[in-house]
Amino acid sequence: MTERRKSEEKAGFTSGLTPLQRMEIDACTLCGECLRNCPVQAVTNRPEISPPEKIRMFREFIKGTEGLKSRLFGPGRPDRRLLEDFTKALFECTTCGACGQNCTVGIFTQRLWPMLRKEMVKKGLGPIGPQADMPEAVRTTGNPYKKPAEERYSPWFPEDVGVSAKADIAYYAGCTGAYEAQPMVRGDVGVLGRIGEPFTMLPPEDEVCCGFPLFITGQHEMLEDLTKRLVGAYKSRGVKVLVCSCPCCVNIMARDWPVFYGKELPFKIRHITQFVADSIRAGRVAIKKELKERIIYHDPCYLSRGAGIIEEPRAVLRSIPGVELLEFDLHGSNSRCCGAGGAARKVFHENAIAMARLTIDEAVEKKADKLILSCPACYAKVNEAMEGYDKKVQIVDIMELVAGLI
Amino acid sequence: MGIFLSISVYAVYLYFGLRLISHALIWFRASGGLVTAGVPRAKSTCSTRAVMLLDVFSFRRLFEVDTPLWFGSWTFHLCFFLVAMSHLRYFLEPVPGCIACVQPFGIAAGYVLPLSLLYILTVRLAAGRKRYVSYSNYFILILILLISVSGIMLRLFFRPDLIGIKAFIIGMLGFSPGVLPESPAFLVHFILLLLLVPYLPFHIFTAPLVTMEARRRDDALRTVMHD
Ligand code: SF4
Ligand code: SF4
Repeated sequence: MTERRKSEEKAGFTSGLTPLQRMEIDACTLCGECLRNCPVQAVTNRPEISPPEKIRMFREFIKGTEGLKSRLFGPGRPDRRLLEDFTKALFECTTCGACGQNCTVGIFTQRLWPMLRKEMVKKGLGPIGPQADMPEAVRTTGNPYKKPAEERYSPWFPEDVGVSAKADIAYYAGCTGAYEAQPMVRGDVGVLGRIGEPFTMLPPEDEVCCGFPLFITGQHEMLEDLTKRLVGAYKSRGVKVLVCSCPCCVNIMARDWPVFYGKELPFKIRHITQFVADSIRAGRVAIKKELKERIIYHDPCYLSRGAGIIEEPRAVLRSIPGVELLEFDLHGSNSRCCGAGGAARKVFHENAIAMARLTIDEAVEKKADKLILSCPACYAKVNEAMEGYDKKVQIVDIMELVAGLI
Repeated sequence: MGIFLSISVYAVYLYFGLRLISHALIWFRASGGLVTAGVPRAKSTCSTRAVMLLDVFSFRRLFEVDTPLWFGSWTFHLCFFLVAMSHLRYFLEPVPGCIACVQPFGIAAGYVLPLSLLYILTVRLAAGRKRYVSYSNYFILILILLISVSGIMLRLFFRPDLIGIKAFIIGMLGFSPGVLPESPAFLVHFILLLLLVPYLPFHIFTAPLVTMEARRRDDALRTVMHD
């Protein structure tokens, strides 16, 4: 066992948690109310991987290593089997935060689960499966998909849109959009081009991962470096507003980049729907073509619950002439995860597909002509879930839709 | 018996105190305040603080998630508080006016308490296995039910020598335990209560703080991307 691992074992299970997070672990009343909002529960029906059970197990680890008995008589070794069960339950979660939104006490689970994952990574128990390859992939290629930088923009970037070397506005495409949801980023750039304000982008080899997949899987070593590289690059281009369409990127940029950067960011972070809604309001762009269809909008967990962006996508969609906007039963800050969250979609593939199909089912049931998404991970997963499924609805990204109607 | 009971009380409370200190060390080991990195903080105005307290005392979050359970849970906590307050008269001499004032409410709450627990049990059992079952919660619930029923028995059927009991308790608090009055029913009530202390969940200390922070976080969510 390495010296580092030994010292980490000694550090117990809470060294990376804030006092509030440690209190949150003790604050859970084990009431189980959050289970009915958990999408993983909806498709697995296994209370043993539920939020209160995860908290109960984690309490056992704390008790064994930092509790009264261990203080008086020395720390014990947590049961290996329990540790493995806990780690699996923790990584099977999509970190969607619906449990926290409906927690009777108010535990911020969207933040707590990733921090507990970090603790398990420190113990050498996580991450799971291909998640473990991500740091190396980001280190060598700049993205978690191990795709070459030359292919980051070229397959989808519209030829008629120009990018400035320096500008007040910058656009960050993000790895998932650029490699796995290209109609979405193509739509983003198309709309930005129509708005007509000059915007800049980093060269593909400099637009590295925002750090979110590493953050969410508890692998935090590179986060400071990635943040400083990206923030420095945008700063040198004179950027005042950084626009991005991926909710996960937006989340880490707005909430965590200042922490890793060490101070306030020199620019504001805006989700593309905010930027476009503002532009529509200011008359810089208008959606002219009519769309006589019923459309249903799915709130991505990290956009609605994570960043509080609920109204802007709806404002953009409502500005489409002729459109009828429907809502999911669970929408806004109560939205149900489509299954793509928490970097679990590649490991617990069946869960993710089943969750995505719940979204498709409801859209079909509500007779929507189009299911509108605004997250590249949702886009990739819901499209995948549609393959071989008997229920069908047309899946469109919000900017893909808008770009075609301006 | 009095000495034995007193030693048990000291042991139980010592254990509880040490457990609490050990948890407090875990809670506050890091140097940071009650802030989660990456979470913006909203300004705490007087009105937000008032709303935060209202969230805690009204169990608003539970109300929004499960109103039938909220009804039982809120009633239970209120009754438990009133009963605990009215029991302070056995620990204090002279009895402060405010404690004396609580007496009629404490007595009424003593009757409602087991009913609220039965109601909670019914709501929970009706929810069935669809939800999470915490056996430790059921254990505590049944223990408090037994304590409250034994308390009602003492009041209605087996009235003990209250003056003797108070002398015994005050003696115990002053570390000079006296003779325990003869009353098997009181003994049952007292031992059940002693059994409860080590199992008291720590959410009673931390949940209010977490609930207050949740309100602050909800308020701050607006500033994450809308500053
Ligand atoms: S974060 Fe989402 S998936 Fe994870 S336990 Fe909570 S509700 Fe379930
Ligand atoms: S609702 Fe909150 S307090 Fe209740 S079990 Fe879930 S996480 Fe714990």
